[in-house]
Amino acid sequence: MPNQSASGPAMPAAATGSEHASKPKGVRADILVIDDTPENLHLLASMLTERNYKERSVTKGLTGLRGAIAAPPDLILLDINMPEVNGYEVCKQLKQNKITQNIPVIFISALGDVFDKVKAFNVGGVDFITKPFQIDEVLVRIKTHLTLSRLQKQQEVQTLRLQREIDDRRRAEETFEKAFLASPSPIAINDLRDDTFVAVNPSFLRLSGHAQADVLGRTAEELNFWQEPALYQKALVQISAGNACNSLELECKTRQGDIRTVLLSLEKITLNEKSCVLTIINDITERKRLENEFISVVSHELRTPMHSLVGALDLLSTGELGDLTDQGQQILSVATSNAERLIRLVNDILDLERLKLGETSLKRTHCNIETLCNQAMQAMQTMADKAQITLTVQSESVPVHVDCDRILQTLTNLLSNAIKFSPEGSTVLLQARLTGEPSDEPITVPTLHITVSDQGRGIPQDRLETIFERFQQVDASDSRKKGGTGLGLAICRKILQQHSGKIWAESTLQAGSTFHIHLPTQAKA
Amino acid sequence: MSKTVLIVDDEDDARAIAVLALQMKTDWTLLQTNSGKQAIEIATEKQPDLILLDMMMPEMDGKLTLKNLKENTITQNIPVILVTAKVQPLSQTGIDPDKVVAVFAKPFRPLTLGENIREALGWQVGT
Repeated sequence: MPNQSASGPAMPAAATGSEHASKPKGVRADILVIDDTPENLHLLASMLTERNYKERSVTKGLTGLRGAIAAPPDLILLDINMPEVNGYEVCKQLKQNKITQNIPVIFISALGDVFDKVKAFNVGGVDFITKPFQIDEVLVRIKTHLTLSRLQKQQEVQTLRLQREIDDRRRAEETFEKAFLASPSPIAINDLRDDTFVAVNPSFLRLSGHAQADVLGRTAEELNFWQEPALYQKALVQISAGNACNSLELECKTRQGDIRTVLLSLEKITLNEKSCVLTIINDITERKRLENEFISVVSHELRTPMHSLVGALDLLSTGELGDLTDQGQQILSVATSNAERLIRLVNDILDLERLKLGETSLKRTHCNIETLCNQAMQAMQTMADKAQITLTVQSESVPVHVDCDRILQTLTNLLSNAIKFSPEGSTVLLQARLTGEPSDEPITVPTLHITVSDQGRGIPQDRLETIFERFQQVDASDSRKKGGTGLGLAICRKILQQHSGKIWAESTLQAGSTFHIHLPTQAKA
Repeated sequence: MSKTVLIVDDEDDARAIAVLALQMKTDWTLLQTNSGKQAIEIATEKQPDLILLDMMMPEMDGKLTLKNLKENTITQNIPVILVTAKVQPLSQTGIDPDKVVAVFAKPFRPLTLGENIREALGWQVGT
């Protein structure tokens, strides 16, 4: 029951189940006085009212009991000597009723009455006052007991709240503990400072083949877990910096020595005041195997009919299998050029898929960037001549240890694009030189800056990134007009990624574009 | 004396195109079969100057056919050019690169087949 005494805060109803309305400010507690003598009642009533207490007075014990149950007061002053039902009896009954059992009861005894103090406290009274009253003393006692009662109620509420909180937390802990333990995805929590495993779930142990005791407190490196620890470290750096890291594909080695391909999602969390990384793992080994098989089967199945198709058309076009009219010849070349386009498309798609799946590992050989540039120019010379474009190469002589075939593929691809989108009479420039600019990687390796510039129609700013995505061309009609597959730049980017390099584009509409490459001249140590 | 070339491919269309193209561009004698097993028999009997051998064939595939050819003293010195529609590099197939002269990847343009064969085998132009 809300208690509005001077210092007390409002409190929710105690477990007694009372529903007393909040008191208006300034009104102190609600006191019930039970005394069969009207003069006493009057005396007490006026004394209390003067002090701003709200008081109710009744002359009969049972009436008081009913009133207390109906509208529980904050405190009861109870006369002992009453006809019918005496004070002790009333008090007993008050204490037996859940609604009234916690209301402090102060007995009133008259000087000369037989007053059994022991009995008074035994039936649950908290104090007694004797007539004639010392008003101040009475008021102080009332105040004291009201305070005690209020504090007790506060404590009960507090305890209840704490208990509820403990239960909630325990339930939450159980929920998350169950989720962690039962998760079909391997989960690991590592301390960010020293990479040690703090917690791992059973799925993780099943994946790694290790026992929990062998994992906790050790690092992934000690367990020889990640096949490319540098990539994992890079992800940790990213996470520490507050960035997200999702869908990172890595290979890991189990205790038995099996290599599994996994997809990682990492998140920085704080656990017991330590910075940790939460890693959720998805084993995609099977999926990759199926993808590889699919590519293998598809590559064969697509190429076989394409071979016969383009072959048959070539033989027809010789004219040795029967004459064709000019129109016939024209139509035949339509068929041939589209068959060629199909072949390019299939090659590009399969190329990209193989690059994605990592099937194409880098085959680094020693060559010179100048040689590669010249080879690229030679490969594109005919196309440039046909389009009346001047091809210029300016390259420093720099020995490199890269996948020369793939880099050559990249250069010819860029030159091919530049020529396609250049107006007649313009120049396409291929330049290569060692750069002083630092590469993105923490350890610097001599890096080449290669550019292919054209004077073509340019690329809008909002497409400069998207053109490197698959099947993206600046203009949707390009693939029909220019014969591109939309995959060339995606392939180039993958190739550069494999070399730890970068490729990007800069452009001014109507003036031209420049494709930039940063290519480390060798693998990082 | 003009060269004899044995073309081995289970794909009828691929064989037909190779045969026609070589007939147009060369005067070589052309033998053909759709099975690895038969290829070994023909090679043993006729001793061609070249075997153009497709990799993907049912029953006895290119790899196995090659193995048999090279284990047989009669046929082991006949040069073999592998033909494949798969992208797998030779190193991944388990085939000894010393045992083959070249690998032609499908799709290739048939009209240059003769010329590519001459180049791979070092045959003079005009043979």
